[in-house]
Amino acid sequence: MRTAWPGLLLTLLLTLAPDAPGHADTGFGIGGGQALPDIRLELGDGSNALLSELAGQQPLLLTFFYRRCTGVCTPFLSLLHDATARVGGAGSDYHILALSFDEADTLQDLRSQAAALGLADTAGWSFATTTPAQLRLITGALGFEARPAAQPGQFDHAALLAAVRQGQLIDRMTMAAGRSDLRRLHALVRELRGEFIPVLPRPGRMALGCFRFDARTGLILPDWGLLLLAAPALGSLGALALLFVRSGPPR
Amino acid sequence: MRTIDTQTALWMAVTFILFPVLALLGITMRTVQAGGLEAMAGWFYPLMTLHGVGMVGVWYVAAMGCAASVLARHVAPSPLIGRIALAGTVIGVLMLLACVLLGRFAAGWYFLYPLPLHGEWPLWSAVLFLASLTVLGATWLVWSLDLLRAIAARFTLAQALGWHYLRGQTEPVLPPSLLIVTVSLIAGIAALVSAVIVIVLFALELLTGTSSDALLMKNLTFFFGHTLVNLSMYLGVALAYEILPDYAGRPWKTNPVVVVSWNTVLAIVLLAYLHHLYMDFAQPGGLQYLGQVASYASALPAAIVTIFGALLLVYRATMRWNLASILLFAGLAGWAIGGIGAVIDSTISANTRLHNTLWVPAHFHTYMLAGLVFLIAGYFAHLARPAATADASPRRDRTIALLLVGGAYGFFAMFYLAGAWSIPRRFAAYPAELAHGATTAGIAAAFATLFLAGFLYYALDTVRQWRTATRTD
Repeated sequence: MRTAWPGLLLTLLLTLAPDAPGHADTGFGIGGGQALPDIRLELGDGSNALLSELAGQQPLLLTFFYRRCTGVCTPFLSLLHDATARVGGAGSDYHILALSFDEADTLQDLRSQAAALGLADTAGWSFATTTPAQLRLITGALGFEARPAAQPGQFDHAALLAAVRQGQLIDRMTMAAGRSDLRRLHALVRELRGEFIPVLPRPGRMALGCFRFDARTGLILPDWGLLLLAAPALGSLGALALLFVRSGPPR
Repeated sequence: MRTIDTQTALWMAVTFILFPVLALLGITMRTVQAGGLEAMAGWFYPLMTLHGVGMVGVWYVAAMGCAASVLARHVAPSPLIGRIALAGTVIGVLMLLACVLLGRFAAGWYFLYPLPLHGEWPLWSAVLFLASLTVLGATWLVWSLDLLRAIAARFTLAQALGWHYLRGQTEPVLPPSLLIVTVSLIAGIAALVSAVIVIVLFALELLTGTSSDALLMKNLTFFFGHTLVNLSMYLGVALAYEILPDYAGRPWKTNPVVVVSWNTVLAIVLLAYLHHLYMDFAQPGGLQYLGQVASYASALPAAIVTIFGALLLVYRATMRWNLASILLFAGLAGWAIGGIGAVIDSTISANTRLHNTLWVPAHFHTYMLAGLVFLIAGYFAHLARPAATADASPRRDRTIALLLVGGAYGFFAMFYLAGAWSIPRRFAAYPAELAHGATTAGIAAAFATLFLAGFLYYALDTVRQWRTATRTD
């Protein structure tokens, strides 16, 4: 019964998964969820692999970084390292891929980054680069953007983590610094281990919105969820109708 | 000879047991803010949650229990549903205690989305909290529907809302208390339906991971919470309409002015909650202005008509002042004073200054404690003390009233003062820059202890007098 829960959850998540921009034609994966482009990777140990080879056999946590980042990259990789160490299962239940998005990064940079984090010989971790064209495919599919910053050699970018199972994206989170993000990160890793996680919010996916902002006109417009605010009053009126019209005293 | 029916006695017992415990939690919080009880500092937010939800719940059910007791004079509520309401409330409270005391659930009484699902507490405690709200909400919804059913068995809806008085008719006679209870129950059903929607949306996220719109959830949560607190107060005011005439020796009848004021409440009260969202920039500006207008329009007519009515009732009357009549009158005064604080806070230009300060707990403690609590305590005192008894002691009554009123207003004054000094609310400990917040918290804890002593004296005396009267009877 326990093993049925992740399957059920996965089915639900896949059903609810939003379309991400940059959907690739040459995707891999089975089932009805969003498939990722099967890009070619050059790993830190000098070997080559397809993404499907890493993500096809085990669930995969995929994140982006670059060696010279003076911002979020190293702290975020440390958080991820800490989360996977706490939850356990890296290498046996899932794999973690840190993919450089800086063309300037060399294999030595990858090895330096891994060593700096104490991950050089840690099972389940891979650091990789890829070609610019392949990089555009995967960043486009995951909605990851990095723009050159004013400071030379630096990029403006967010810390993104994508969870992939059977070649399909099952969750994608952008990290801020809050504790709730950490909880979500831990939950995501535990979920990849097959644990039943009842709460795994879907970013960008809401049951019903109250208002929506139209960026083109700058207006705040009513959305369907607003009808729910009328429901209590309508419910009360319905109750009155039932009680006073049907059960009321004879006129 | 007045008698207390079993159910009212049980609601009285629930109130007399739970309120002192919850008040003690509040005193603990103020003491922690004052820099004392350091070991309890880690419990500040769980205690705040239990204190807030508990107080709102206890005084709502106390008000409903008293309203059912008043209604029973005129119509016939179902005793079975009354027992189910009591059982459901006890079960819900036990679940609430478990999630806070065992799970340290600490999302506050607002439990604003998505905090319950993302706090430091285990997920089971959040689920148990939502389950307790489900039990309480479902129970209270059924209870409200039954009380309305009882009214509907004797009056048409137009009669229950007093519309025939507007046409110059006075038959059938509609006691003002019944009009106010009808208005409160109708608004209450809407509030409870809103709670149901909130819980369903939380459940949707728990089961499917589909998140909800935080703005929609906040609107629904305050639709429920604000309205429930408002109508608890109105149910308390209905008690004053019902009982004060006994002591004034004059009737307090329904008339067109009373009808218009309370129908205005019904028409507008459901929109008053919007003033809780002034800080939400995503809420369209039109709704913010509507919140201010609705806050004024729902509060002022009924309050002014009731306060003037009470003053005219007492003016030059052969008023019999005892603990019951003192508390009922003081309760109306507390409603007015706290209401003025609330109306100030619901003014957008003032709210931007006051909203996150202790001004907010100042005004809601005033109308809850010196308003609703006094009104219900007055009603219980009225039921427990026979009209004339050898045990009557004006000196004891005045001592209790003095402890309650003095303790309460000293306690409120520290909140108002701290609010005026921009001391933020919901701080467990104040930094050095806000040391005056700690000072006022310490003084407030002392006054609150005085109030609690007065309440315990009142409760013991009320129970003793009730038992004496029962034996005499």
